[in-house]
Amino acid sequence: MTDNSLAVHRAVVRHGATPLADVADLRIDTGRPLTIVGESGSGKSLLAHALMGTLPPELAVEGSMTIGSTRFDLADRSGRRHLWGRRLAMLPQEPALALDPTMLVRGQVAEGAPGWRPGDVAALRLAHEKLDHLGLAHAGSAYPHTLSGGMAQRVAYAAATIGGARLLIVDEPSKGLDPGSLDRLADLLAAHVADGGLLLTITHDLRLARRLGGDVLVMRDASVVEAGPAERVLTTPSTDYTKRLLAAEPSRWSFPWMANAAAADPTAEPLVAAHGITKSYGDTAVFQDVSLEIRPGERWALTGPSGVGKTTLGNALLRLTSVDRGTVGYGDVTRGRLQKLYQDPALSFPGRVPLERAMRDVMRRHGADEARVRSLLGEVGLPLEILSRRPDQVSGGELQRIAIVRAMLPRPVLIFADEATSRLDLLTQETTMDSLMTEVAGSGCALLLVTHDPDLATAVTDHQVRLGQDRSALLEPAV
Amino acid sequence: MTTSLLDVAATVAGRSRRSTLARRAAALGLVALVMFAIVGPLVLSDPAAQDLSRFLEAPTLAEPLGRDDYGRSVLARLAHATRLSLVLAALCVATALVLGCVAGIASAWFGGWVDAVMRAVSEAFVAIPALLVVLLVSALASGGSLWALYLGLALAQWVEYFRVVRARSGLVLGSPAVEAARLLELGPVHIVRRHLWPDLRSLLTTLASLGMVTSILAMSTLGFVKVGLQPPRAELGLMITDSFAFYDVAPWMSIAPIAVLFLLTICFLGLRTSEENR
Amino acid sequence: MADHRPAVGVVIRRSALVGVLARRGVQAAGVAVLVSVLCFLVVRSLPGDAAYRIAAGRYGYDLVDQETADSVRAELGLDRPVWQQLGDWLLHLLRLDLGRSLVTSRPVAEEVGYYLLGTLQLAAVALTFAVVLGGAAGVLAARRPGGIVDRLATAWVAGVRAVPPFLLGLLLVVVFSAQLGLLPAVGHGDASSLVLPALTLGTGLSGLVARVTRDAVVEVRQSEYVRFAHTKGLPERLVLLRHVLRNAAVVLVPYLGVQAVILIEGVVVVESLFAWPGLGHSLVHAVFWRDVPVLQATALVLALLVVTINTVVDLAVLWLDPRPRRLEASA
Repeated sequence: MTDNSLAVHRAVVRHGATPLADVADLRIDTGRPLTIVGESGSGKSLLAHALMGTLPPELAVEGSMTIGSTRFDLADRSGRRHLWGRRLAMLPQEPALALDPTMLVRGQVAEGAPGWRPGDVAALRLAHEKLDHLGLAHAGSAYPHTLSGGMAQRVAYAAATIGGARLLIVDEPSKGLDPGSLDRLADLLAAHVADGGLLLTITHDLRLARRLGGDVLVMRDASVVEAGPAERVLTTPSTDYTKRLLAAEPSRWSFPWMANAAAADPTAEPLVAAHGITKSYGDTAVFQDVSLEIRPGERWALTGPSGVGKTTLGNALLRLTSVDRGTVGYGDVTRGRLQKLYQDPALSFPGRVPLERAMRDVMRRHGADEARVRSLLGEVGLPLEILSRRPDQVSGGELQRIAIVRAMLPRPVLIFADEATSRLDLLTQETTMDSLMTEVAGSGCALLLVTHDPDLATAVTDHQVRLGQDRSALLEPAV
Repeated sequence: MTTSLLDVAATVAGRSRRSTLARRAAALGLVALVMFAIVGPLVLSDPAAQDLSRFLEAPTLAEPLGRDDYGRSVLARLAHATRLSLVLAALCVATALVLGCVAGIASAWFGGWVDAVMRAVSEAFVAIPALLVVLLVSALASGGSLWALYLGLALAQWVEYFRVVRARSGLVLGSPAVEAARLLELGPVHIVRRHLWPDLRSLLTTLASLGMVTSILAMSTLGFVKVGLQPPRAELGLMITDSFAFYDVAPWMSIAPIAVLFLLTICFLGLRTSEENR
Repeated sequence: MADHRPAVGVVIRRSALVGVLARRGVQAAGVAVLVSVLCFLVVRSLPGDAAYRIAAGRYGYDLVDQETADSVRAELGLDRPVWQQLGDWLLHLLRLDLGRSLVTSRPVAEEVGYYLLGTLQLAAVALTFAVVLGGAAGVLAARRPGGIVDRLATAWVAGVRAVPPFLLGLLLVVVFSAQLGLLPAVGHGDASSLVLPALTLGTGLSGLVARVTRDAVVEVRQSEYVRFAHTKGLPERLVLLRHVLRNAAVVLVPYLGVQAVILIEGVVVVESLFAWPGLGHSLVHAVFWRDVPVLQATALVLALLVVTINTVVDLAVLWLDPRPRRLEASA
């Protein structure tokens, strides 16, 4: 049993008669990781759970897999339980949620050790070594809620791999991680491969796929559309879908509204002028002494790692959050014409009434008629009829575009987009951003974009404020 | 993640189908009980009419639930008792609901000192068992006063509505949806009609049906400990207590009010919406 | 950066502890004032001549005349202005001077102390019964949501909720005492006299405990950290012991605090039914006989009991769950 390869033979996951994932054959060898990429709903996570044996009972699965020289039937879920932690391990999607909030980190790592029993001192020592190796020696005696997203990710990695499993399945590890943390995670995964481990990564993040190398599988609508070495698939793809996927990365965008940026007049009266604003929660400063002025038509980005206070600063500029010191002043035309787009559009609409009813209130208040709403919806590629549904009956991308339409109705002078596309996959992000920026460019209103994605900030804006861990704000004017 | 979504969707669908069925049955049962309480007292004989010669008469076709220890018609008494329970409970719940809602929304809307004062009052109230408040208030009146019972039950229950409504309104008013509505300058009417009311409606239905159960049970309990309504008034708790002395010779006397009490509470419990199942 | 974090955690928890105690202390004071004022209003608004009624309560209606009523009036100071009486009332309370029973003439503190012991005894046995039975039923029901055990438990919960404690008690008396002759129905003799009242009280609570335990365990079992504990290679039994029970307790314990109010209500009824010498029994008697000092003291002690239980619950939650939180959810 050397576990030096994994082979999957025709794995199919079904819900009733609908196939949710259908993958012919795939193979992972030591030293050559496999990464599955694709948009959400393409079935890539289901495949990972099918291999692990953790699919929910309503889903049927068929096929088999071979680890080393042992063959397993995928339909027999409990048959692989004895492998968990020892030969087969999974790094969960949301590491912060995968740690027991009531237990010290050390014990949660130790309990994954082989043959662990309560009160196992050797396992605790092993856990300490493991954490120390990951630069988390002190986190052992902390509770999970005190860890940052990146730290929780590494603790989960320690807990998943302490049992000595060679085959590691990683499910969407990039959710909510800033580029720095993502790089550290990629290094860890690369080290696992270098140590002779087998690695299967599920992600929609092409940067992570590129860093990991090895082989790449592109999935769409339950099946594989393209497979091959990472350097080929991610640079010179052969199918249209992969080409579209690659082109949807913000660094490769090319849209008419991108050229439009320099139109802003630097001598105009500022819409929003913040002078020396400072905000702290308790003893923790969120930002200190930030000054900036946003003029009509300008496009600003607030960037920085997650948890650094970007949203709070944006809210302070819109006067949705009070500041401890400093002033936020508005120009004459500004009042009542600031609008905001939210990270989760579903939460920004009244959840229990049809969209139409909520929209009518906006139309009545701002004197917009149905023709205007219809034409705005048409511009973002949606039919008027979609408004008869409730917010939870519309997809996230569509709802964000409806939110854009709603924000345009009062003819705003500034739109604050707060991580408005960070929950969407690449293709949907591209469509949504295109809709937003077409409206912004068309109406000449200014934009304040909060994002943790530097590529997106570069593609969309021409002024950046980079918030750092040291609570400073670095202004980077137009390039 | 697709898996967890399917997971949730499947179980929720199964549960909600069963719960709509249960709610329909509960509503049907309630309609029957309400009809009995409305029509019964109009068509049946006088519940107070005694006929000692017909002491503990067994059920007959003319008198389907027999007669009690004073020879009174058990069916007529039951109809009056049901009407009393329903009317008084509904009054108490309506009073507590309006009071609690207004206070709760005001507290969440204005915050600051309004909220602080309201919270301090509710904190003190919440530690006092409802039965205690009712006991104390009914001690105000010399036993058997409907007013004292009404006041006590309403006073004991408004805190529940206040706390729940305040907590829920706080969440709704702090949500991005309301923030967006304020940026769009849609005004307070929009916020109440489109955000608060739709969100609170099902919660209040649940609370109100639970409140009906609490009120009905509390009334009968007080009757039982002899500090609520007094004989000879027909009241479910009193009827149960009085009949227990005769449970071996005249079981119909006990079973009838117990069955009505049980049906009332089960039906009101069944009315709750599936999302608040306590 | 990480090495000073545990220290910060300790500081946060210590300040949370102080916060809990301060908040509950304020609540206790508020309760004391509210109950006292209510009691005061009760006495003030007794129909007819309060002094006359109190005297009647003390000596019996046949023996009361204007003279005894006047002496009662003077004794209680009922002829002074309202605000003065209220101030006096609160002042006495502040000095823990609870006065004497109008009926038995014994010091109220002594009587209430005796009854408190009886109530605590009953409540402790009933609560243990409810947690053991309800907890076990809840965990079993949660093993397969929607399964047979789960449905039986749901039916049990609804049935128990729909039957008021006095009715349940009466039924138990009929079955165990009158029909089977197994257990004594009333009194405070040996251990067996405790069984029926505790069973009555505990059964009602067990339904609620079962319901909350079930929901909490089902929710915790679906959590990411329980799934992860499984895929780490931990056997089912250890996952249940190490992760599920503790996290379910974080939900269950505050709920028990909310139920303290229901427990106290049950105590009042069950004690009256079984003539168990406890606070509830004495409260009902005091209301019936208008024994104002006893009425005030028992009501106060019962309300403070609720505050005490909730304080214990807060501290337990603080110990169970290290996360910082707002403590508004519990009663």
